[in-house]
Amino acid sequence: MRDILSKGLDLATKLGASYADIRVTKRETEQITAKNGHIENLTRGGDEGFGVRVLKNGAWGFAATPILREGDLERKIEAVVQKAVAIAQAASRVNRRPVELAPVESVRTTYKTPAKIDPFAMPLERKLQDLTEITKALACLPEIRVTTASLRLFKEQKTFASTEGSHIEQSILQSGIAASALATGKGRAERRSFADHGTGGYELVENMKVREQAPRIAGEAVALLSADNCPVGENTLILGGHQMALQLHESTGHPTELDRALGSEATFAGTSFLLPEMLNKYRYGSEVVNIDMDATIPGGLGTFAYDDEGVPAQCTPLIEAGIFRNYTTSRETAPQFGQTSNGAMLADGWSNFPLIRMTNVSLCPGDWTLEEIIKDTKRGVLMDGQKSWSLDDKRVNFHFGCEIGWEIENGEITRLLRNNAYTDLTPHFWNSCDAVASKEYWHCWGLPSCAKGEPVQIANVGHGAAPARFRGIRIGVEA
Amino acid sequence: MFDKEGLVEIARRALSYSQAEQTQVSVIAETMDLTRFNNNEIHQSLSRDNLTLMVKVIDNSRIGVASTNKITARDIEAAVDQARFFASLQPPNEDLADLPTPRPIPSTPKLDYSVVLTTPEQRAAWAQRTIEIARSANLSSSGTISFGIEQHLILNSQGVEAYHETASGFYRTIMNNGDITGYADRIIKNADDFQVEPVANEAREKATLFNQSIDITPDEYVTIFEPVAVADLLRFLAYTSFGAAAKQEGRSFMATQMGQQVMSPCVSIWDDALDPECIIQPFDIEGVPKQKVRLIDRGVAVGVVYDTQTAHKESKLSTGHASSGYYGATPRHMLMAPGDMPLEEMIRTTKRGILVTRFHYTHCPDPLRVVATGTTRDGTFLIEDGQIVARLKNLRFTDSVLTAFSRVSGISPDRRLARDWWSTYTSVLPAIRVDGFNFTGATTF
Repeated sequence: MRDILSKGLDLATKLGASYADIRVTKRETEQITAKNGHIENLTRGGDEGFGVRVLKNGAWGFAATPILREGDLERKIEAVVQKAVAIAQAASRVNRRPVELAPVESVRTTYKTPAKIDPFAMPLERKLQDLTEITKALACLPEIRVTTASLRLFKEQKTFASTEGSHIEQSILQSGIAASALATGKGRAERRSFADHGTGGYELVENMKVREQAPRIAGEAVALLSADNCPVGENTLILGGHQMALQLHESTGHPTELDRALGSEATFAGTSFLLPEMLNKYRYGSEVVNIDMDATIPGGLGTFAYDDEGVPAQCTPLIEAGIFRNYTTSRETAPQFGQTSNGAMLADGWSNFPLIRMTNVSLCPGDWTLEEIIKDTKRGVLMDGQKSWSLDDKRVNFHFGCEIGWEIENGEITRLLRNNAYTDLTPHFWNSCDAVASKEYWHCWGLPSCAKGEPVQIANVGHGAAPARFRGIRIGVEA
Repeated sequence: MFDKEGLVEIARRALSYSQAEQTQVSVIAETMDLTRFNNNEIHQSLSRDNLTLMVKVIDNSRIGVASTNKITARDIEAAVDQARFFASLQPPNEDLADLPTPRPIPSTPKLDYSVVLTTPEQRAAWAQRTIEIARSANLSSSGTISFGIEQHLILNSQGVEAYHETASGFYRTIMNNGDITGYADRIIKNADDFQVEPVANEAREKATLFNQSIDITPDEYVTIFEPVAVADLLRFLAYTSFGAAAKQEGRSFMATQMGQQVMSPCVSIWDDALDPECIIQPFDIEGVPKQKVRLIDRGVAVGVVYDTQTAHKESKLSTGHASSGYYGATPRHMLMAPGDMPLEEMIRTTKRGILVTRFHYTHCPDPLRVVATGTTRDGTFLIEDGQIVARLKNLRFTDSVLTAFSRVSGISPDRRLARDWWSTYTSVLPAIRVDGFNFTGATTF
């Protein structure tokens, strides 16, 4: 393959490209869904192809095609390179500002996700049994109407080669599971769920112990049928770790993406309230808020060795003691701040143009226990379980719905709550944070469904989070 | 583009190789060309194609699926073997429906590729023209120009044979002067007929209508929604309520309110993928012909859409709405009945209200009541005494779509093909006015 890629890169250079890279990507996926004790779907997918990205006259062009048969890479590479160059040339006639890339050290290396149990090699019967048992265990109460359990396995072999001499081969393995119980009754429908994903083998799924959690999940779904509505008004809010992961994703991960801040995603995903002139000055959150982006967290869903520009995975502080310190960048955007890329340019498979994507964006742990946070709260609501999420196109105003809530009075949990929601403005929210739980409560949750770009690309990202407390937040559904 | 004969050969090879009781083979080929621009510069431009073979087998009430984009004889046979192997490992599911049997597929007009294929130069020229229009008004422009061709071939062992080619394009642009933005889009059926100037000028006019935004207290307001905003509200009905699975599982108001008045009598909604105004799709991913399905008839809940499995549960025939998405069978080609109140008249007869161009990142916190939330963007305006008097900072709404559609006081006679913020559903929609829509928060811009 190395020779074919070299041939393609040489052709790009010959055709006038100042830079080119080629990604050959082969994916295997396995998705198994059990519903109400039966396997509803068992799908294994495979997909292979390559994409060529070139820079000519300061403009980008990208072309991609599948590898349908052995030999397609060699047969098609010339035509695909020519197409990418022609696309770049057409764009360059419009553009006035040529793209410049931050330097990166060329590397020749390989990487493989550490894993104990290869989920693709293990007996399928075992996986089917695990899932059906979870759905049966979730159906432990008569009010439970629908139970589901889904296994998502993902393997990607990616070869990256560039005109700057890099040749990187990576094999990324991801495993994860989602399960839910839907209870109906009293004219209501309430769902409780569990979902987590990471880089690694089936040992991740085993460690999640979803089967053991099933009675609690089902019990909470049923109890929610008779729960009171979340009170409406300003209150103290404590978020559980799972919901905190989504909060980080939406209100920190996305607004700190530099392509959004520069407007590239304006027409679809939106832009950002965090403007370049705010760097190192803007108080994004309170002193206890420290958030970093770290693509090296063991087991994080956004963990890899090199991004799709050949930049090494790294840890970048985004928010330090509440101050906005860094964006997530690429080789094209980082030079605007005199920086090099912090390694977060990723594409969804071979057929997409790489975009700036958050990797593992995490809230650093504090020093509270969850019990101490609750005991220290005179009046408030603890919410968890991702239910709905909505933010404006600059990520300022947000509204989140949570599956479950518990009212707190005088330091004790007093009752269960349904229809849990909260809404705020991002800067106010993070500046109202006064307690973050310690590392014992910290976990890197995986979200395998971050959508961005046109055509839409899905990224798999991680968020380390511990429960945290926020003062003076509007809670309750107001419809 | 892949030649049809080649796709048929792939599908037939898979079908003839399979020894399963029932086998379905889908071959989907896609080609996409796209150009994106921002800040008056093209920042992404691409061309790509792909082909996916999917094999679904049913053996002894057990199902297995495998997909690949490898198409040698060995790879095709491996996919079939894998699907059968998957099926063999499962316990039987006696509720599993058989694959559909053949039903006549409606004939559709042959695709004229000359009107959907574009070159990078042509897309760059459209971007250039948009940028020129933006610059002429001292604005910055962002936008997307995309064209895609899809070929769908479905064969199954019950005798289903369905093939269709579809193509469409999408152009959208945002023009902005800082936080002051204006948006316009078009779904393009014929590139030869597409003129970039009227659409770009629409965005320019919105972006130059008032040069600052004012605050308004979030509250219930008479609200006028342009068709793209209506598409967002309708999407939640499609996701949460108009599919048979949600009704069968008690997750939808359709489970308890079928036959009841759930919206204003002036609201009628149906799905019809064969309507000439839609992007025509004659069959679903199971090869079942698309049926016209009435969903809301003069405000009364009257129907949901089915795939083969959900239809089997009620001993019905599929309506041809099988989908591979999370929500299962959903209507993706909805139409809303036109009314007799043009948008201008809605504005003229509104004492105090809000005009919404479009929404952003909408979601549905309470599917049973179809409570949706989201924020406005790219042109939210205050109406007073029948006139647009100010640009508003963007607002968050949180309201039940059922409640909102019960308060409809005006529907425009003009409809257009519109896409919501998120999905690729394309619906034929009017502008509507709602007497009382609940805004629950405000943004800072």
